[in-house]
Order: sequence, then structure tokens, then C-alpha cells
Amino acid sequence: MEQLSEEIDRILAVPPYGEAPEEKEAILLRLLQQELSSGCSRHPGYENYVRQWPIDYRSASRVADLPFLPVSLLKANPPLSFIPPGEVKRTLTSSATTSQSPSRVVLDAATSRRMTKGVVTIVRDFIGTSRRPYLVVDTADLMRGGGDLGARGAAIQGLHPFASQATYCLKVDEQGDLALDRDKLLEFAETHRNAEILVYGFTYILWNHLVKPLVAENICLNLAQVRILHSGGWKRLQEQAVEKAVFNQQLARVFGCSPECVIDFYGMVESVGVIFPDCPAGNKHTPVFGEVIVRDPLTLEPVKAGGYGIVQVCSVLPTSFPGNLLLTEDMAQVIGYDDCSCGRRGISFRFAGRVPKAEVRGCGNLEIKRSAGN
Amino acid sequence: MTTLSNVQFVHDVESPAAILEAGAELKRVVSEEPIRPDEVISLFEDWAKNLDSRELDEIPGIVFLRMWLRRGTLEPIVARELGANSVNGGWTDYGRARCKPFPLGVIGHWPAGNVEIQPILSMTCGLLGGNAALVRIPKDLVELTQILTSRLAQSDPSERLVRRIFMAAFDHSRLDLHEAMARSVDGAMIWGGQESVLQVRSLPFPHWARIAVFGPRISVAAMDSGAWGSPADQKTWCLRMARDLWQFDQQACSSPQVLYLEKSSEQSTDEFLTNLKTAFENEDRAHPRQVISPSLSSAIAKARASWLLDDPSHRAFFPIGPDWTILVGSGADVPPPIQGKTLYVLEVDDLKDAIQKLDGNVQTLGLGFADPEKENKIASIAGQRGIDRVVKLGRMHTFVPPWDGVDLIRPMVRMVRHVSSAE
Repeated sequence: MEQLSEEIDRILAVPPYGEAPEEKEAILLRLLQQELSSGCSRHPGYENYVRQWPIDYRSASRVADLPFLPVSLLKANPPLSFIPPGEVKRTLTSSATTSQSPSRVVLDAATSRRMTKGVVTIVRDFIGTSRRPYLVVDTADLMRGGGDLGARGAAIQGLHPFASQATYCLKVDEQGDLALDRDKLLEFAETHRNAEILVYGFTYILWNHLVKPLVAENICLNLAQVRILHSGGWKRLQEQAVEKAVFNQQLARVFGCSPECVIDFYGMVESVGVIFPDCPAGNKHTPVFGEVIVRDPLTLEPVKAGGYGIVQVCSVLPTSFPGNLLLTEDMAQVIGYDDCSCGRRGISFRFAGRVPKAEVRGCGNLEIKRSAGN
Repeated sequence: MTTLSNVQFVHDVESPAAILEAGAELKRVVSEEPIRPDEVISLFEDWAKNLDSRELDEIPGIVFLRMWLRRGTLEPIVARELGANSVNGGWTDYGRARCKPFPLGVIGHWPAGNVEIQPILSMTCGLLGGNAALVRIPKDLVELTQILTSRLAQSDPSERLVRRIFMAAFDHSRLDLHEAMARSVDGAMIWGGQESVLQVRSLPFPHWARIAVFGPRISVAAMDSGAWGSPADQKTWCLRMARDLWQFDQQACSSPQVLYLEKSSEQSTDEFLTNLKTAFENEDRAHPRQVISPSLSSAIAKARASWLLDDPSHRAFFPIGPDWTILVGSGADVPPPIQGKTLYVLEVDDLKDAIQKLDGNVQTLGLGFADPEKENKIASIAGQRGIDRVVKLGRMHTFVPPWDGVDLIRPMVRMVRHVSSAE
């Protein structure tokens, strides 16, 4: 386990998007095989699943042949875990906006540390290394959950290594709803007007609690050197018919910056540590310690460039729960393989919504109703 | 030049007026142009011949549809349901009275989108009773239904049947169009999941309309140890099981979701399971799936993982793709059905334990028994528990009424009773 941990740390230290795809595949395959072996020795049910997978992972020649786990299996309670309860440092829960029950993932100290490092490595490639004032468009109460951290809290915390100081500009009002703390926000803007700053918020929270009120009052914060990161998906904004371009324009108007300063990233609690920011070409990429496989629903084989399919997220970071090979409930289109104009190597892709929910249907139960009076 | 192949039988409908107009025309045709069951059957027989071409072979359920449309299938059904003389449009004596079926009028059909031939199948039940058909076609089935209907048109140059059919394609969310359909019909055949069935049933049908609902049900199979353990018959039983699963991609109400195996003290199920796996592989090679929804593919992957993670004693056989899955364990409960050729194989000490746990949610029980006495007992328990069909494995989809315990054609006709005034 120690040797595996050292190898994961080594791969976390290399530039995240520079590895040639064949070399990256070889590195990932070897590490993931070791992690499967380790997981099997710690969970009899997982071992049963891996053993009965049609291809023996020990002799697999590509990552796509390794046994993937549907992400909804992480909704189990108690959570699927490779570690004894005493080693659980933190339990992360998903926001569960689409389904009723949240995912729960348990982190030990090593996994937690790697996940933080994973986010830092990726974000650094997009915004640089310097620490800067960090404006969190959320409430500080969110971070007071002890060992249990939700998706918003995990994302906020993941960006802390880029912060010289953090300011939370939302508060909870008397009705228990989120509300903008104008005084705090305007003071932050005034203080850091000419500085490089970092802003983070969940997509719908940014829109509902920052952009809408400030646009309504025609307020511009004049923070031209801002980088705004947001995540959490578009479902709630689609319900309000807000498109990405409009979102970016309005956010840029409020901050007084260019729309290019706005970076949408996708991350999931179940694979925290591997996040997918949009590159300048509008595509998403995978770091050297992770991979995305877009699988054709008909064959579950990887699709070619241009093809749509179900997203599988791979990551070598977790060793405390089975989050290495997760078949998500998201769809994506592969834009290309190793040919994005931004220069990042490997697959480039774009998300294309959720896998629709299935309903078991049939054609039985013939019952005849004749209305009264006939 | 207009040919049948470019005539649009499925209409993109945008306004309620278009449906109301079509409904009125169908009512006129039914009223002014009566048609006897034997005329319908002759046209269906020709239609079946027109469907017998290689380019249609990949349509799921096409073999079944060809069989269903044959005179040899339909004449006995019409005679049994509507009366011995009804096939030729005659009256049938019932004691001192005589009866003859007359059409209800226009039948609205709301098929589900998951069984490809369902719009056609539903429609034929109404047409055999002399009715007209107003059919809502789910968007994914428009192209296929268009092809199948154009083959009917080739067999019906005088348009005796074609004039009785109006197929409407529209989005399922268009309540105004559903309502227009409901107002236009005298009877309805509604198929699908619980939510959609309840929605359609709540539409404003005329107070006289008769409603036949085909809601969500599942089916199961069971084998005694004498059958699954027989070296001579094992492969044949496995082939039958595979065929019952492959038809309709295991999404029909009559598709088995679980196979219960009676435990044997003398032999393990290993050889049977190996043969079952081989039968699935062979059937998949012969009839590979052409398309699958991402949600079903995802559900299959989840079922596999969940089954094996939950209990280390569980076993499974499957390829990486979602083509087919065998989940092996023990117990008498029915696990949540997955569909898409995902079969639970559960060993039980006594098959009665499993059958006694079933309820009216189960439509068909497919059986493979070597012991007829044991089979008869199981069939009686199944009937008592609410199951409507008990059939041999390999024939679970044979569409012979009573289906779900009810006739297929009779619900959509009026049986007129005549007692002679001279009596």
C-alpha cells in the first residue's frame, strides 16, 4: 500500500496535461490494477464483483476493460468503504439534486490529501499558482459541518490552497434562505479592486444570489483581474432558460471583466480530486492521474471522436473507497482524441446532460371498465 | 409519381382539429362500410406475406407479428371469442337466442414506446371487431410503424382497412391532442407504464367508451429439478428460455424476469447455467440488439454490480456490453425487474414457496416441468395468486387469448343478442 501511495504521489507531481496518451494509458492501467487488487482484499462484495467481471483485470490490456462501478452504488448506506471506521477522516455527500438519496464517500487521510492535491494541480494549470483573495459566493456556515462535507463545501475547500484570505459574501436570512451580504461584497470589491482575485460559487447560487440582484440594481464590482470558477451543473438554470453564453456575459458584466474569465468546471463528489474545467476551446480534458471514457450505450465500448455516450470517470486518487472506475449518470460527446487547440493532451469532450431515468414498462393487466349507464 | 413507400400513413399532428376531423371520418367509415372478420383476416393474411421479407427481419417482434396475422391463428380466436359463425359475419345460436358482434366504432390506441410492434398489434385487435383505429404513435416508433403499415397498404389496394386507420404522431406532452383523441373514440386500448396509463385513463372519454388497460406487469419462469437436471433436455430448455427473453428485448409483460430452479440434492446447477450462458450467447449472435436507451444500459450495469456487491455468494454471467446478463442466487422473492435480457436465476428448496409469494403483478408463469402432477399443483397455486397465464417455457409470448385472463377482440365489440319474437 505504501508503494502504491508513493506511485500515486509521483504521478500527482507531473504536469497534468502533458503526458502522451499511450504513456498515460500505461501508467493508469498499472496503478488501477494495483488499486483493484488492494480494494478486493478489503471488501468481499467488491472482490466478488471484480472476480466475476468478464475480463480478468490482472491481464487487461486497456483501462476500458477494467471493471467499472456504476456511481449510484455509492449511495449505499453505510457507504462502500475500504477502510475501518476509525480511519475515516471525512465523509463527503453529493448534493443529490437529481435523485433523492445522496452518494456518500469516505476519505482517509491519504485520499483526502491526494484529492486536495489533485484539484490544486488541475486548477493551477488554468489560473496559475499564486495565492490571491478568495471570494466565496456562499455562506461560511456551510463549512461548519465537522467531518461531513457536502458537494458545495468540498468544492469551496478544494480551492482554498489558492487563497490568501477567504471572504464569504452570502448569509442566511431570517427565513433561512441564502441572501447577498452587500456590505461585505462591496467592501471586498473596494479593498481588492486592482488585485488578482479568485471567485467560486455553485452555478445556480452565483446566478440567483449574486448576478440577478446586482444586475437588477445595475451594480458593477469593477474587478477586472478576476477568475471566476463555478460548478454544480446547469439543471436549475435550464429551468430558468438561462444559457451558458448569457450566464457568462451577465457574470462578466457584474464583475467588470471579460467573459473569458469565467470557467465552468465539472466535478463530482464521488470522484473529487479530478475536476474538469472548460479549456479556452470550450472542451474538457483529463489530467494524467485520471481519465474519462465515453461509452456507447449499445456496446459499452469507448466511442470514436464525435460520438455520444455514457461517461466513465477514472481516477487513481482514492484508496479508501471504490471510486477509481465509476460509470456516471452523465452523457458526453467526445470532441477529439489528442487534438484540442488548447494544447492539452488526450481526450477532449463536452458534457451532454444526464442519462434519462428508466421506467420498467409492460403490457399486461388487461382490465375492462365500462362506464355506468352502458 | 406516388408510390406506397412514400405515402405517409403516420401523420405529424399539430392541432386538435386534425384529430377530431380524422375521428369523424373514421366514424363515417365504420358506419357506412361494415367489414366482416373473414375479410379482415384475408387482408391480414396477405399483409403477413408482405411482411415476410429479409429487410424486415431485424424488426424486433416481426416473426411474432407474421404468426399473429395468419388465418390459422386468428380464425379460431375470432370463433371462440365472438361466436362460431361470427367469422363470416353470421349470428351464432346461444340457446333460444342468437348473438352477433358489432363494432364499438372508433378505437383509440395508446401504445407504449418500448415494444416496437405494439401499435400494430393493438390496432389489429380493434380492426378484427370491425372497428376503426385512431392510433397515437410514440415518436421512436414512427419510422418502423410507417414501414409496417405501408406493407398493409400493398395488400389492401381497395383500402378497405387502410381507410379505417388514422395514425397520429405527436409529443406525449400535448394534452390537447390526447384529449382530442379521447373525445373521438368509442373505446380505447391503453398500454404502458403506471404513470402514462393513469394519465391516459384520466382523459375525457365519452361516457360510453370502453377502456382496456394493459398496465405494467411482469412474468416469471420456473423449472422443476427433473426438467433442468435432465441431460437430454437441458439444452432445449435453455434455448426456450433464451427465446422468451430475446423477444421484445425482455420488455413485454410476458417476458420472464426471474427463473426459479427447484433445488436438487443430487446435482448442482452448474451445468445448466453453463448451457444457459451458451444459449444466451448463441441467441445474441443470431439476434443482436440494434439499439438501446442509455438508461437501460446504465440500469443493466447497475444491476450486475449491485447483485455481486450485495452478497459475495451471488454469481453472474455477462459480457462487458449490456447484451445479456444472468444473475444467480437463491431465494423466493422477486427482485426488481431490470429488463434488457437481464435474468435472475434463483434456486429455491420448494417451488411452491416462490409461487406463493407472487401476486397479480405477475402476468405469465412459464414452466419447464418433468413431473406433470407437480406442474398441475403449481398452476393451481399460480391461478390462486393472481397469475393469468401458465404456459410452457418458449411460448411465453404466444399471443393467444385469453390474455391476462381476458379476451382480446371481444372487449371492443358489442355482442348484440336477438331473441326471436316468434318464440
